[in-house]
Amino acid sequence: MNQVAQQPETLQRQNQTLRADAPSTAAPTLSVKGLTISYQAKRGAVQAVRNVSFEVQRGEALALIGESGSGKTTMGLGMVRLLPSTATVSQGQMLYQRQLDGQDTNRVDVLQLKGRDLRQFRWKECAMVFQAALNAFNPVLRISDQFGDTARAHSYLQGKDLAERARQLFELVRLDPERVWRSYPHELSGGMRQRVLIALGLLLEPQLLILDEPTTALDILTQRNIMDVLKELRQRLDFSLLFISHDLSLAAELADRVATMYAGKLVEISDVYTTFKNPVHPYTIGLINAVPTLTAHRDHVASIPGSPPDLIDLPRGCKFHPRCPLATERCREEEPELVPSTDDTHWVACWNWEIARSQLSAGQKGTSA
Amino acid sequence: MSSGATVTPPKKTATKPAILLEKIATNFWLRTIVKKVFIVWVVVTLTFFIIRALPGNPVEIMVMSLMDSGLSSEEAYTRAASLLRIDLNAPLSEQYLDYMSNLLKGDLGDSYVLAINKPVTTLIAQRLPWTLFSVGTSLLISFVIGMFLGTLAAYRRNSLLDHALTNFGAAIESIPNTLTAIVLVLLLGVTWKVVPLNFMRGSLSPGIKPGFTVEFLIDLFKHYAVPGTVYVFSTLGGWMLAMRSSTISTLGDDYVTVARARGLPDLRIITAYVGRNASLPLITSLAISLGFVVGGSILIEYIFVYQGIGLLLSQAIGKRDYPVMQGILLVTTITVILSTALADLLYGWLDPRIRITGGGE
Repeated sequence: MNQVAQQPETLQRQNQTLRADAPSTAAPTLSVKGLTISYQAKRGAVQAVRNVSFEVQRGEALALIGESGSGKTTMGLGMVRLLPSTATVSQGQMLYQRQLDGQDTNRVDVLQLKGRDLRQFRWKECAMVFQAALNAFNPVLRISDQFGDTARAHSYLQGKDLAERARQLFELVRLDPERVWRSYPHELSGGMRQRVLIALGLLLEPQLLILDEPTTALDILTQRNIMDVLKELRQRLDFSLLFISHDLSLAAELADRVATMYAGKLVEISDVYTTFKNPVHPYTIGLINAVPTLTAHRDHVASIPGSPPDLIDLPRGCKFHPRCPLATERCREEEPELVPSTDDTHWVACWNWEIARSQLSAGQKGTSA
Repeated sequence: MSSGATVTPPKKTATKPAILLEKIATNFWLRTIVKKVFIVWVVVTLTFFIIRALPGNPVEIMVMSLMDSGLSSEEAYTRAASLLRIDLNAPLSEQYLDYMSNLLKGDLGDSYVLAINKPVTTLIAQRLPWTLFSVGTSLLISFVIGMFLGTLAAYRRNSLLDHALTNFGAAIESIPNTLTAIVLVLLLGVTWKVVPLNFMRGSLSPGIKPGFTVEFLIDLFKHYAVPGTVYVFSTLGGWMLAMRSSTISTLGDDYVTVARARGLPDLRIITAYVGRNASLPLITSLAISLGFVVGGSILIEYIFVYQGIGLLLSQAIGKRDYPVMQGILLVTTITVILSTALADLLYGWLDPRIRITGGGE
């Protein structure tokens, strides 16, 4: 949130109250502790998320990156408690810091919420912009009705006030309010629908916005546009962001901190600059080396050999060891825990991170992030 | 039309019929109407010849039944000829042209045998309301119950209730409605004596005049109850199974998950998000099945002697009453065409994605 002060733009009326006291609290908006989620499949339990802990600070943007099947989306769905019925959360806590008029009130464990409390938590406290935003809207209802539904469910503004609030949000996400408000979803393009969903996500001024691969289905120009909108929103409004993506460059643009996920576990977490300049986990290093840059020579673009492990039948020890160039006997037997590495903001789950830092990063050129 | 030698390009001055043709080709509604009229003509023509190709004509059938009652062959022929003042010896093409020209004037002809010299339109007008009432009401009842049970089964997917409902639905769907009718008559009327047998014959008690009187409505319902149950019973399973599978696929749609994430109340999600989208394909089949009201009722009306158009058709076929058969088949065709048109309109109204905008497609 360090850029906030530099923004001279006039702020939206609704958000002034929220913004005034941004630095006053220290408790994280969300703190996930030891979360473990598995799916029941015919062959056995799919361990999608294993003992994951992290915090999202107030106003912070945390990016969760990893390959497909690393458990990112399961994390996101778990956070709004929308996992399919085959999934079970076997352990963990998800502590959410409620706020009232900018002051911390009580903390709730999202996993314990039930019925009405859960319904109120969803969208009002934590909104989620889904991967498949193209089909995120009921095809037979106008956008205005879908905003109305959401507002009514949370006893929010109605009628003209709601339309006015929506108009401001549409302008924030660079949409033509007149056109969008009375439209049916099919009358809008994919990029427009994605932005409408972002506007809808911000409608109730949630503290936490989860973006699950928000640009995956879009072409490169629309993707650029959405990213610009998101960056601008981050500067203007005050909310925490959990950005789930497989795209490192997008994460670099938007996030304050980056958490790398591999086989259902966080393997490295640090601020965005450190992640890209001084990664210490062999997997993160591999991911960054796999991104082509403008300045680096083509030879330096390298993929990580092998493929992600089978989540039903995970290897012993460190789950990355079959693909790791530095794997030792210890890696094959014992799984490393996420511990501080170079300093206490940079955590890594690797026995040999010091070797990785000196050996693997050597060939790495700076990224254009 | 220019001769091959001229070099000048053909002028674009369209003649009157050409303008009309172009209008028909470009205007959606005009084109639709022309298509439907064409279908009606094809069906009328086909039925005209097919009916007459059936073995036995009205006179022969009547002679046969008269001979059964003891008359000699010659007596029967004279009797039949005096009763039926029809000439079936004219060439078929002439009869066809005659029929078509009358049809264009809105005249469906007079009955040959069933009600001699009574206009077919009057006969149909007397019988059609009964069928529309009995089958139409049952269809709506079964549709509503089926939608409800189907949604319930889909929401409780793979539960005991779901398995029970699905098997029950598949079972009743596979029982022929005539069998249901006979079993109900036997059980309710004969074995248990719950429903007096005279409520299972005819559509009204003798002496009761149609009108908005309590007496009429009660009698109407009493006669409707058993055949109505048969109709509901025989169609319920299909609606339920269709709604179940449609709801299950809708429940997997992203917007339902997003609606949950938006914190919407369950009732709103079930009705406006799941129900409305899941019922879209069913609404179409409902409208289409309205069109088959007439055809679907023949045997049931026969069993219950329900004075509807299906019974009239079976009587007309039995006696080869050509104009009546032809008239009922025409009505059936038109109801099917109208109901598919209704389905299109309904679908457009319910689903904004396929709404026709502007004058074109």
